[in-house]
Amino acid sequence: MHKLLSLALVALFLMTSTASAHKIIMAVYQSGDLIEGELGFSSGDMAVDQRIEVFDENGNKLGETKTDEDGFFTFQPTQATAHIFRADLGAGHVAETSMSALEVAKVEGLVQPAAAKTAIASAPAQMPSPSPAAQYPSMDQAALAKMIRDELRPLRREIAAYKEKNDLQTILGGIGYIVGIFGFAMYMAARKKLKEATK
Amino acid sequence: MHIVDGALSTDVVIGGTVLAAAGLSLGLKKLDVERIPAAGVLSATFFIASLIHVPIGPSSVHLILNGMAGLILGWAAFPALFIGLLLQAVFFGFGGITVLGVNTVAIALPAVLVSYVCRYGLAHRSTKVAAAWGIFGGTLAIALTTVFVAFALMLSGEEFFAAAKLVFFAHMPVMAIEGLLTGAAVVLAHRVKPELFHVLTDDVLKGAQNA
Repeated sequence: MHKLLSLALVALFLMTSTASAHKIIMAVYQSGDLIEGELGFSSGDMAVDQRIEVFDENGNKLGETKTDEDGFFTFQPTQATAHIFRADLGAGHVAETSMSALEVAKVEGLVQPAAAKTAIASAPAQMPSPSPAAQYPSMDQAALAKMIRDELRPLRREIAAYKEKNDLQTILGGIGYIVGIFGFAMYMAARKKLKEATK
Repeated sequence: MHIVDGALSTDVVIGGTVLAAAGLSLGLKKLDVERIPAAGVLSATFFIASLIHVPIGPSSVHLILNGMAGLILGWAAFPALFIGLLLQAVFFGFGGITVLGVNTVAIALPAVLVSYVCRYGLAHRSTKVAAAWGIFGGTLAIALTTVFVAFALMLSGEEFFAAAKLVFFAHMPVMAIEGLLTGAAVVLAHRVKPELFHVLTDDVLKGAQNA
């Protein structure tokens, strides 16, 4: 029986070393004339060849797309409304993320409704800094935007992974809560018992 | 094992919440002072066990240990597992707040059922027989949980057998591990602290009354 126990323990430790969470992360961002996104597990594994359905805010289906082998997907928006991306990986694993109408409207080559247009037009007014294209006249603005996007992609990934990280503080905090809750329950129960005893 | 927000239809979510509330009130009633520390320890164990992941295919499953909680706590497993689930949802984002009821029922109800099924087996004088029942209980609890999860998914429109098969087979390794762990725990308890399992305590008390 000791052998069995140690075997079970060894198996446990082997598994913790390859620990990976099964939470699903989905992120979308505007990229040139497309909406680009990724779908993956919080462990860093990406969802391969996964169907993603796209809806507007009223639940009407706008289309669907598929992830490639790196968990990337692109979607060509045709309407400047809010886009909701939904992936169903089966067995209760569903991921949903949305992109607001304002963000979708920034996608190049879209016919923009008046409201979105004014919102974009007013945006530079709030930021009086000179536009990047004016500072680097040799570089065309689209190329610059693409470069920044490419540079930011690993950062986005890292932040998404970081958000999912369960560090020791979180775990200890959770245990602390449990101790507190059951300590309180113990206190209440003991008080009740004492009251009954004094009656 | 946790069903996430948005995977179930509203009716199922409400039904699960009502069932969980009923189980919780019953569990709290059966949670006497002597059992509160054990409930706390098992709640913490369950909370941590979910971080031990077993990678399977594109997804991964984690330990649940609801069988062990059920064997030790009986109905009191409901509040213990509920608190574990609540904190997992808040701290780790496992499952979600709206589906908390459904998840509680899917995990705590098998625990309670197992405690009834294994009641007499665990009280057996032979350690080997008790261990066998412990292994059986640990395995059965996970199997029942997969069935409950598949059932909740079916009520929300998924094909039952497809969902059940997927969840069940994905949890085969968990069943094996939890069976072994629960069996080992039963052996240990049988040797050093036979009153740990409430089912044992009940029988010991009954025996004392009869004598």
